Amino acid sequence: MASQSFLDRHHFLLRRLHSLTGIVPIGVFLIAHLTTNSSLLWGKAGLRGTGDHYSFGKDGVTLLEGGVAYFQKEVTWINEQVPHLLLIELTLWLSIAFHAVLGVIYARTGRANTSRYEYQSNWRYRLQRLSGYLGILFIFYHVATLRWGWTFLVPGGTAWSHDFAASTLAAAIRGSETGFTAAGFAVALLYFLGVTLLVFHFANGLWTAAITWGLTISQRAQERWGYACFALGAGLMVMGWASLLGAVMIDPAKARAVEQSIQEGKVGESLAGQADR
Amino acid sequence: MLNFSPSEGSAAAAAARRASAKPGRTIRVSVKRCEGPGQDSRWETFSVKVDRGANVISVLQQIAANPVTVEGKRTTPVVWDSGCLEEVCGACTMVINGKVRQSCSCLMDEYAPGEGDEITLEPMTKFPVVRDLWVDRSRLFHNLARVKAWVPIDGTYYLGAGPREKPQQQEVRYKLSECMSCGCCLEACPQFNLEENPADWNTAFIGAHAISQARLFNEHETGKALRDERLEVLMGPGGVSDCGNAQNCVKVCPKHIPLTESIASVGRAVTLHGLTRWFKA
Ligand code: SF4
Ligand code: SF4
Ligand code: FES
Repeated sequence: MASQSFLDRHHFLLRRLHSLTGIVPIGVFLIAHLTTNSSLLWGKAGLRGTGDHYSFGKDGVTLLEGGVAYFQKEVTWINEQVPHLLLIELTLWLSIAFHAVLGVIYARTGRANTSRYEYQSNWRYRLQRLSGYLGILFIFYHVATLRWGWTFLVPGGTAWSHDFAASTLAAAIRGSETGFTAAGFAVALLYFLGVTLLVFHFANGLWTAAITWGLTISQRAQERWGYACFALGAGLMVMGWASLLGAVMIDPAKARAVEQSIQEGKVGESLAGQADR
Repeated sequence: MLNFSPSEGSAAAAAARRASAKPGRTIRVSVKRCEGPGQDSRWETFSVKVDRGANVISVLQQIAANPVTVEGKRTTPVVWDSGCLEEVCGACTMVINGKVRQSCSCLMDEYAPGEGDEITLEPMTKFPVVRDLWVDRSRLFHNLARVKAWVPIDGTYYLGAGPREKPQQQEVRYKLSECMSCGCCLEACPQFNLEENPADWNTAFIGAHAISQARLFNEHETGKALRDERLEVLMGPGGVSDCGNAQNCVKVCPKHIPLTESIASVGRAVTLHGLTRWFKA
């Protein structure tokens, strides 16, 4: 088998690239992505002190309105200020595909035995593989629907728009523009599972990567790094859940009103300038 | 909440069970039997009267003396492997109550302290069964040979005294040297699975014992001579990267060898070796 011998010939390099891509770029992107998305909840605080650029940052704005405005600001910034965005995206997609394909090949070499050896570390081993399998399905759904515009997979058919970032996101996750539908609930649940599993996958992978590369050798070092990864994972988990909470709590109609006023330049001069372009 | 402990179970609970054991009780022993390689297996249960201090081997001897199942059916004596009877040779390793361990050091007072208590005996699953509880551990030794787990001293003339070993190094290596090639770490490892065909042994996962032995001999002043050859094997298919960090190995190792530290240490060695090789012409 040609593919087999290719894998064997470059065994070490592929294994290490598999480990590396999980951290850079995928893990780093995950941190940035969840930070941005959780601004749906913390965005109002982020608007404070931005002066008259964002009148929504002023008093009288609800938490979610502030979040919608700040999230829109972030999304606009990413779309207009980040150089070579498509190149970055392609790198990311290829890295994810690479990590996933090799991950499945590697995972298939193992046979879980948690029923006999019920150690926590053994469960983490098993969950790492399970979260990989389910996580990649979730990522595919997430990217296909919200980035590639495969709206036939979105209940209610909402297409995500980066000019109406929060409202279209909320509608896609809730199943309709107006309120929660049963299908929307399933999508929200999928997001909850997907985000939770992927954050675990990253935090646990970061822990094992330190063993793989030989950074943490002693039992004590592995423990210390374990707690550090746990703390990072817990932080990301909170951000992931906050993002989702924001998305399901936002009323798409109200969010659209906020975004509309941003696009029409009623809010803030800098955003008005961008909307004119 | 997070558990990184390299050991399992509580010694105090085991001691309490031993203290509670009832002398002269009758226990049930279920054995997974197999007539020979490739044959189907079946379960047979025996009733055995045990006294204080009985271990699995003495129970198997009693069964051999009177191989009659609880149903009253006469059968053949159960076949098992053993050597030292003091947990230093590793030959008697089997799966007892679902977990791998040495049978010679497995006391009935701890595993079946009460009247009518049952224990189960199965052969290891990662090695081909020869018969009943006896398995063929050839692959384990083959894998030690793959990483040249020895010190190269054979020659045609006297080479003189070897280099001095630092006491600190000795301390690390002493622990590693206690490996008795029992196979517990392999039986419990989700990445180490049965390979019937020896042709696959050189690409399937090598196992924690071999990784740890490679570290032992790489850190030996004379053993170092083969360091690069060992690392090359460990970088290849079935090498250290195939470990999935389930860390079962370290928990079941009867000699408490820090296998996960060995895995990380070899991980570091191959990282550096790989980088060096990359930048070399
Ligand atoms: S840490 Fe590696 S060698 Fe040890 S049981 Fe897990 S996968 Fe096997
Ligand atoms: S490392 Fe431990 S469990 Fe593995 S073969 Fe050696 S003594 Fe047995
Ligand atoms: S007979 Fe040697 S370890 Fe049990």
